[in-house]
Amino acid sequence: MSFEKFLFYVFAAILVFAAVMVITRKNPVHSALFLVLAFFNSAGLWMLAEAEFLAIALVLVYVGAVMVLFLFVVMMLDINIAELRAGFVRNAPVAILVAIAMVIELVIVVGPQRFGLDEVAAPAAKPAGYSNTEELGLALFTQHLYAFEIAAVILLVGIVAAIGLTMRRRPDTKSQDPSRQVTVKAKDRLRVIKMDAEEKA
Amino acid sequence: MLETYLPVLIFIVIGTAVGAAMIGLGFALSPNRPDSEKNSPYECGFEAFEDSRMKFDVRYYLVAILFIIFDLEIAFLFPWAVVLDQIGMVGFWAMMIFLGILVVGFIYEWKKGALEWE
Amino acid sequence: MDAVIALWTELPVVIQIVMKIVAIMLPLMLLVAYYTYAERKIIGYMQVRMGPNRVGFFGMRLWGLGQPIADAVKLMFKEIIIPTGASKTLFLIAPMLTIGPALAAWAVFPFDAGLVLADVNAGLLYILAMTSLGVYGVIIAGWASNSKYAFLGSIRSAAQIISYEIAMGFALVGVLVAAGSLNLGDIVNAQQGSVFHWFWLPLLPLFLVYFISGVAETNRAPFDVAEGESEIVAGFHVEYSGMTFAVFFLAEYANMILISALSALMFMGGWLSPLPQNWVDGVFLLDDGFQWLLLKTFAFMFLFLWFRATFPRYRYDQIMRLGWKVFIPITIVWIVVVSVMRVAEMPWWFN
Repeated sequence: MSFEKFLFYVFAAILVFAAVMVITRKNPVHSALFLVLAFFNSAGLWMLAEAEFLAIALVLVYVGAVMVLFLFVVMMLDINIAELRAGFVRNAPVAILVAIAMVIELVIVVGPQRFGLDEVAAPAAKPAGYSNTEELGLALFTQHLYAFEIAAVILLVGIVAAIGLTMRRRPDTKSQDPSRQVTVKAKDRLRVIKMDAEEKA
Repeated sequence: MLETYLPVLIFIVIGTAVGAAMIGLGFALSPNRPDSEKNSPYECGFEAFEDSRMKFDVRYYLVAILFIIFDLEIAFLFPWAVVLDQIGMVGFWAMMIFLGILVVGFIYEWKKGALEWE
Repeated sequence: MDAVIALWTELPVVIQIVMKIVAIMLPLMLLVAYYTYAERKIIGYMQVRMGPNRVGFFGMRLWGLGQPIADAVKLMFKEIIIPTGASKTLFLIAPMLTIGPALAAWAVFPFDAGLVLADVNAGLLYILAMTSLGVYGVIIAGWASNSKYAFLGSIRSAAQIISYEIAMGFALVGVLVAAGSLNLGDIVNAQQGSVFHWFWLPLLPLFLVYFISGVAETNRAPFDVAEGESEIVAGFHVEYSGMTFAVFFLAEYANMILISALSALMFMGGWLSPLPQNWVDGVFLLDDGFQWLLLKTFAFMFLFLWFRATFPRYRYDQIMRLGWKVFIPITIVWIVVVSVMRVAEMPWWFN
């Protein structure tokens, strides 16, 4: 067994293990961290497939950015686990049906008949000077320009949607505005009333 | 190409192992005499109350989401910068349009006050 | 000599690599130790104090040079306290996740022409990916500690780190446009010529943004609200003691050295000599070489300390405003400027 093959099995084994842990851990934070581990090992697998840029970009974008958001969300939202589990038994039959349907579909689409070296040839080992980034850039900015611009629009939609969903004016913040504080005049705050002295009855 | 990444992999493993070894060394050498006062979470002189993992301002989520979007933008810019000499004016203008669309988004979030932290 | 070389080539590749890694890591650790000493000494003198001057070797004081060693030994023998209610495993994994990427980033760093452990093509991308992992240690430490101070510190710190990472990434894209390669060695070679060919001049705004973002990214003063001794005691590592604290501390200083070294490499010509090439060709110590890289790195490392001694701490809203509303627009504009220069083939800067 060559060293690359050995590495492949190590990465793949950890990946499968991490993926199982993601869906079986009770604590959502642990699940999210196992997902990070899973991404790391997929990056290793992509690297073995000679996709240098994509492997590092996976770490950069998914591990470095997307999972940070996931962690923010699962750590800081009080997710009541007991409440989530309450419906488990009731929903189980439907869930099992959906799961079986998904498995069958997956096997049809990406079943074992589509794998193996006769279906997908192993990438040829590239020389040391080979730049994956360059090749990707050449393809992206010549053949796939249209898709690239669409990506920009999708990201724009993402920005707008994120702001629309999360921006809330919070009336209860106690922040100060110094410029307003210093421009306050006495007559804005204080009213002097003249009235006759009252006599004791 | 793969052989140039072997040292990187080994370095990542060793780097993490160094951290683990130092902590292990700390456990091996240091005393361990826990008591309930020593192990209680830090507070200013009173008993800790409530769960310390609380909800916080939604603004932090917004920062994280915007970060993802800009990070993706950077991921697109990297291959573009490498092949800028080879893709000519078409590639150059393609990226300018891309940046332009995202600058529109950036202006939108600025105007909406998503970047305000009072 | 030949026998030594023969013996070296006989060794298995993995052993060779491990020995090279040790050759990088040991001096780095020593530098980190003495960086802490330099910090205390330099800030001491800036504030008209002596700084540490007692601990020496063999009964001699030697200006306190034994201080970092004594500190390390002390931390080793300090009890590691794991607070009640903390998630024990994550509590201990957090420091490892902080130091792992801080050290691993050095794998692709070239120390001299051709002197690099892993000469990968996507070097710059790898460095950016590794620095983006530093935020995990912070988040996990804050969450696992089960302490309000740690938690608040970690959220603040995480939001700050990711905000400045964008500015940093854009600044790197500028370098990339100017150099036309992701390989760090090629980036230095693209700066050849004279001091005015180094990227600090054509990329001046990006250079400033990069270094300042680096300071913010490592949570150093004046961007140290995450630590903020006077409000949230020590931020995300308030519950850490003994060696677990020491690992965080080491990672912070290793990151500072990394940022300094990268600034020197990408904007200050790395190992290139600032003197004109025909003067120094072949002259010992003045010709291009590792010593110049070291000197430039030390200069940036000194800036970190100088900032800390000089600037008062920023307020949190000011930090976020600087990152999002100042740095990001500057970097986007300058990327466009640099790429126009590149496409228009401005002759002087990009040879």
